[in-house]
Amino acid sequence: MKKKLVFKNFSIYFDQYLFISITLLSVMGLFFLYSASQGDLNTIIKQSIFVGLGLVLMFALSQPDPDFYKLFSGLFILIAFTLLIATMIFGKEINGAKRWLNLGFFSLQTSEIIKIALPIFLASYLYNKPLPISLKHTFITLFLIILTFYLVYSQPDLGTGLVVFMAGIYILFLAGLSWRFILASFGLIILSLPFLWNNFLQPFQRQRILTFIDPSQDPFGSSWNITQSKIAIGSGGMSGKGYQEGSQAHLNFLPEAETDFIFAVIAEEFGFIGVCLLISIFIFILIRCIYLAFNARDRFCRLTIGGLSLVFASTLFINLGMVVGILPVVGMPMPFISKGGSSLLSFYIAFGIIISMATHKKLMQK
Amino acid sequence: MIDLEERFIEKKSFFSRLVIVYLFFGFLFIFFLYTTYSLQVYEYDDYEVAALKNKTKEVLVQPVRGIIYDRSGNIIVNNVPSYDLIIKPSKIKNPDNFIFEISKIIDIDKDNLDYVLENFSLKANYNRELILKRNLSQEEIAKFEVRGYKFPSAFIDVRYSRHNNYPKLFSHATGYVGGVSNDELVDILDSQSLSQIETIFKYSNGYQIGKTGIEKSYDKKLRGKFGKKIYEVDASGKLLKEVDFIPPLDGDNLYTSLDINTQQIAYDQMNNRRGAVVAVDLDSGAIVTYLSTPSFSANEISNGISKKSFDALLNDNNKPFFDRASQGRYSPASTIKPAIGLFGLDTKLIDWDFSITDPGYFVLPEDQRIYRGWKEGGHGKVNLNKAMVVSSNTFFFSLAYKSDVNELINFLSNFGFGEKVCLDCFNPDQGLLPNPEWKMNNLNFGWFKGDTVNMGVGQGYLSATPLQLAYYASVLANMGKQKKLTFIKKGNSNNEMDLPVKNISNLDWKRLHSSMIGVIESPIGTAKRLQELKNFKVAAKSGTVELVSTQTKEDYEIIRQNEGNRDHAIIIAFGPMPNPKYAVSVVIENGESGGSVAGPVAIAVLNSLVKE
Repeated sequence: MKKKLVFKNFSIYFDQYLFISITLLSVMGLFFLYSASQGDLNTIIKQSIFVGLGLVLMFALSQPDPDFYKLFSGLFILIAFTLLIATMIFGKEINGAKRWLNLGFFSLQTSEIIKIALPIFLASYLYNKPLPISLKHTFITLFLIILTFYLVYSQPDLGTGLVVFMAGIYILFLAGLSWRFILASFGLIILSLPFLWNNFLQPFQRQRILTFIDPSQDPFGSSWNITQSKIAIGSGGMSGKGYQEGSQAHLNFLPEAETDFIFAVIAEEFGFIGVCLLISIFIFILIRCIYLAFNARDRFCRLTIGGLSLVFASTLFINLGMVVGILPVVGMPMPFISKGGSSLLSFYIAFGIIISMATHKKLMQK
Repeated sequence: MIDLEERFIEKKSFFSRLVIVYLFFGFLFIFFLYTTYSLQVYEYDDYEVAALKNKTKEVLVQPVRGIIYDRSGNIIVNNVPSYDLIIKPSKIKNPDNFIFEISKIIDIDKDNLDYVLENFSLKANYNRELILKRNLSQEEIAKFEVRGYKFPSAFIDVRYSRHNNYPKLFSHATGYVGGVSNDELVDILDSQSLSQIETIFKYSNGYQIGKTGIEKSYDKKLRGKFGKKIYEVDASGKLLKEVDFIPPLDGDNLYTSLDINTQQIAYDQMNNRRGAVVAVDLDSGAIVTYLSTPSFSANEISNGISKKSFDALLNDNNKPFFDRASQGRYSPASTIKPAIGLFGLDTKLIDWDFSITDPGYFVLPEDQRIYRGWKEGGHGKVNLNKAMVVSSNTFFFSLAYKSDVNELINFLSNFGFGEKVCLDCFNPDQGLLPNPEWKMNNLNFGWFKGDTVNMGVGQGYLSATPLQLAYYASVLANMGKQKKLTFIKKGNSNNEMDLPVKNISNLDWKRLHSSMIGVIESPIGTAKRLQELKNFKVAAKSGTVELVSTQTKEDYEIIRQNEGNRDHAIIIAFGPMPNPKYAVSVVIENGESGGSVAGPVAIAVLNSLVKE
């Protein structure tokens, strides 16, 4: 149940279901990461700090009234854009990609911020527009979405770019985008696919998609990762090899075991049973989000909860789909589990805002 | 702002759209779970194997070759250990310091040190070993035993090298081992269902294979089977721990019929002259002496020889690498006469009483061509017995003249001429038993009667190897029965040949033997000089192979100025008579006299064999 605890001078806004399940996921995440990092205490301590910080942040961000977010959504997105542009200029370059902004104590992956700021801003823009959304508003929204996508994509970070793009589209769709427009744009997208393929994808991205379609093209090139990931998952069997017993992860066959491919480590060590238990927690969170969206106090809250929960669902599915080989390899962490501060914090922030949207009732309804 | 009704519509629209998106994700998650289920449950077996294959690495362990013994159980070819100092780079933190410390005990030469330092970090990363010094001396081993406790990451390991204890005596008989070509390696590994992977060597020279002689013929038996060490590895290929060890199956030892003492005597007797000696145990067909001279050191070829010495051997006019015993082709010359005589008896062209008058030459009726004997004026009246003892060419010319050439050729083939007589000799030549068809195909000439006449005294196109001559001698000694030759001590119970004769009795054989004894014992015998050398009665037939045809003794004196033109000396012999145990053939190139040059070698070999 969503709760509003009323004290003498102030109220506390809190959703025990989301709070408990997210805390549970975070603790499990630390436990899995300990194995995936081969018992590297440094990694665990760093990640624990982020988890603690994240839980506090989530709680804190649940407290302001949704109107606060609505009011300042323009400021948030401005800050987010400024950070993105600052990254383009001052960013740390790692492996040919500029995704991180050095804040001294911590490197911030700025695309993780826009991933949250964009849907909130779009919700605040669209919540009072009549149905169906007019062409003018549709195009303004689309322009903003594509601009944001392009900024993230050009870092380059196709994975996060896609999530940002989808986040915007979810809001637009949920806000009441006309079906006629949807059908028309589907047609257009299909027609322009060859153009996009040739002009927007980097050669290595094209290669990834090609090897995804036909993995036999290069067994030790870009699909090496996916082959090793499948071996790790498959060899886990029904009940797994046991905690810290996964040979694929512990003998370094599995690449990116702490980040993108941590699910393969879990599947190898805990088997299909472990996978089902873990996934059921994620599904519980998502179902709780639908419930909260249905009971939210107004259109802005509904849109925000719906949009942010779908960002969460998309990230999760892109990660899982990539690890089991049903989607091409695009860098995407597993929410609350993978190593990495920015991604972790962004989801605590998202759920803090979701809880705020869900627990605050309109004053006039009192 | 939107009104209440619109708000209701908006809420409905939002809910249905959220449900659509969630349903879409629902399908995706079901698909994801289905995929995971397939991987972990349906395809579990495949992936379990794949994961196991990923983390295991097999390394071959070389087997040690079998030892080659002589017939008395003395070792001819052995594996001699050398001791190498090995280090484990992955266990050494500071290589420079380590080498500085260990250099105080064991002196390390600079070339190897450079190699070690260059490869140090690579070997450390993959957890492999490095040889710091090869062939430690006794003193170095002793020093390391005392102070080695300071270096737990270094140890002494045994590596073998193939060593022939009599490298010059048996260079052709046992042959030598050498490095293996890639194709040979693939074949060997294929035959053991293995593939080419990293190998832990037991030999300092790496992979080895028999190249010649017994090492080659019995390579499969001597070689053994590779073992395997199975390690757990990580993704970089670094060895983590040994999981399993299947020890190699060392090669079988080989108990040969060779006799070291007799081989030594034959070698000394040959005294580096060009030629060959082959002796056979008559009971089993086992080869007891197998020598080709001049010789070379089998060890140098196996384990290293300077290019200069190798080139010297290769360019030596005496061709030390050439195995005269099984590849040298020589005309049998007069040694063929017992076989021709037997043919005459078998076909009833002659009997023991039949005689002719030998004027010293034979005139071919067809073209009046003259075929000369070795003695001017001839031997007078000769029967078969006297013709053998004095080696009358005229008698055998006229006998061959009366023979049907095809019958004669067929008869000779049963003595091993033109045939494969050895079961396990390395690359033996089959000599040449010519026939009319062969002559037409190869020389474009028809068969002349003169060719048959020449064959009667073992000259012309007919040629045989010393190995074949030894076989031929043993057929004569065993009265027509003989097993194929072999190097194995137990010989072979099968493969016994029975000479297909129609009209030759035991008595005929006895008389033939006594004629051959007469070659030595008779005061007119061609090898009477051997009387003083022998310890028992020996049957023999000597031969002198004419390389250049001359009409007179004076002509021969001229051509013999060139050593290469001098006649080859040949003898076949067996003894002790009347119950012979061994047969021997000796060829000495350009030795001139079968009886007095090749004969002493044959007698020395027989004396030695019988004494043992």
